[in-house]
Amino acid sequence: MEEAEVLFSIGGLEVTGHVTTMWAIMVVLVLIFFLATRKMEKVPGRFQCAAEYTVEGLLNYFSGIMGREQARRYFILLCTLFLFILFSNWSGILPLAGQFEGFKAPTSTLSVPVALALIAFFSTQYAGIREHGVVRYLKKFCSPIILMLPLNIIEELVRPLSLSLRLFGNIFGEEMVVVVLFSLVPYFVPSLMQMLGLLFGFIQAVVFTTLTAIYISSATAEAH
Amino acid sequence: MSINLSTVIWSFLNFFLILFVLYKFGLNPVLNFLDNRSEGIAKDISDAEDSRNEATALLQEYQEKIAGAREEAQDIIAKANKMAEDERAALLAQTRDETAVMLEKARQEIRLERDLALKDLRQEVSTLAIMGAEKILRRNINAEDNMKMIDDFLSEAGEIH
Repeated sequence: MEEAEVLFSIGGLEVTGHVTTMWAIMVVLVLIFFLATRKMEKVPGRFQCAAEYTVEGLLNYFSGIMGREQARRYFILLCTLFLFILFSNWSGILPLAGQFEGFKAPTSTLSVPVALALIAFFSTQYAGIREHGVVRYLKKFCSPIILMLPLNIIEELVRPLSLSLRLFGNIFGEEMVVVVLFSLVPYFVPSLMQMLGLLFGFIQAVVFTTLTAIYISSATAEAH
Repeated sequence: MSINLSTVIWSFLNFFLILFVLYKFGLNPVLNFLDNRSEGIAKDISDAEDSRNEATALLQEYQEKIAGAREEAQDIIAKANKMAEDERAALLAQTRDETAVMLEKARQEIRLERDLALKDLRQEVSTLAIMGAEKILRRNINAEDNMKMIDDFLSEAGEIH
């Protein structure tokens, strides 16, 4: 994979096309929620209804995984993760995505999924420590016997790795397939693949957040 | 395939920024709004339930009141009827008494009048008899008869003495 071109840097931090696309996604997300929640009515309009439906649907989904109380507690994090990943994935399907330097799907470079997976990882540790306290949480790694300690630690560390690689691999792979198909059959076939890309983007966002929810839920669960 | 540290850091910054913004202005308001609405609806339902119970209780109370009032009215009517009946009976009795008294009085008066009339009649009759007797006597009594009458009188008187 070729390195993304650095557009400019702010305070020593390089800004690539993935970063600028992230900013655009943030603006879109904020705009959507601003419009949806600008004037909350008891009898919702079309836009508010869609926002309510999204929020309520996600809340119910996470409640099914980790219970209502936990879902409510970590909902903002999970929902933001979901929406951020979803929009990042879908941004790669928009026309001209990847065609010029300032517009690249953030999840198609490994750096962004890694950052998101690290966020999921640290959130999981935070949730576990918050629920059990440091000592009890660390004790969980020695269960059921002390011999399991290295395996438990490896399991914990593999999680962000698998999360980031899965997300990156799927989105990057999907883009590659589109590019290759485009070079073979320029008409119709790539758009079919792009439609599938919509589905893949959604599935990957769901998978990422679902796994995060499961990790948090297992970290906060009582030791057995 | 490599990791660009700048992009990772940017991702962190961007994610936490969007997390904060959505927490503050997006998701939390929606969640709170949904919670409030759920609570509002639950409250409305329980309020409606309360109102209905209250209304049912009131209805029952009023129905009881109406039944009571009806009973009372029946009582009052019955009482009034009885009173009227009593009054009527009393009036009737009084009238009967008065009538009897008046009747008695009338009878007495009639008796008195009759007695008076009888008395008058007797007087009249005796007068008439005497007048008739006088007339007859004037014409028919002769010396013989005169003597006889005197004799009879004297003998009667003599018997008494």
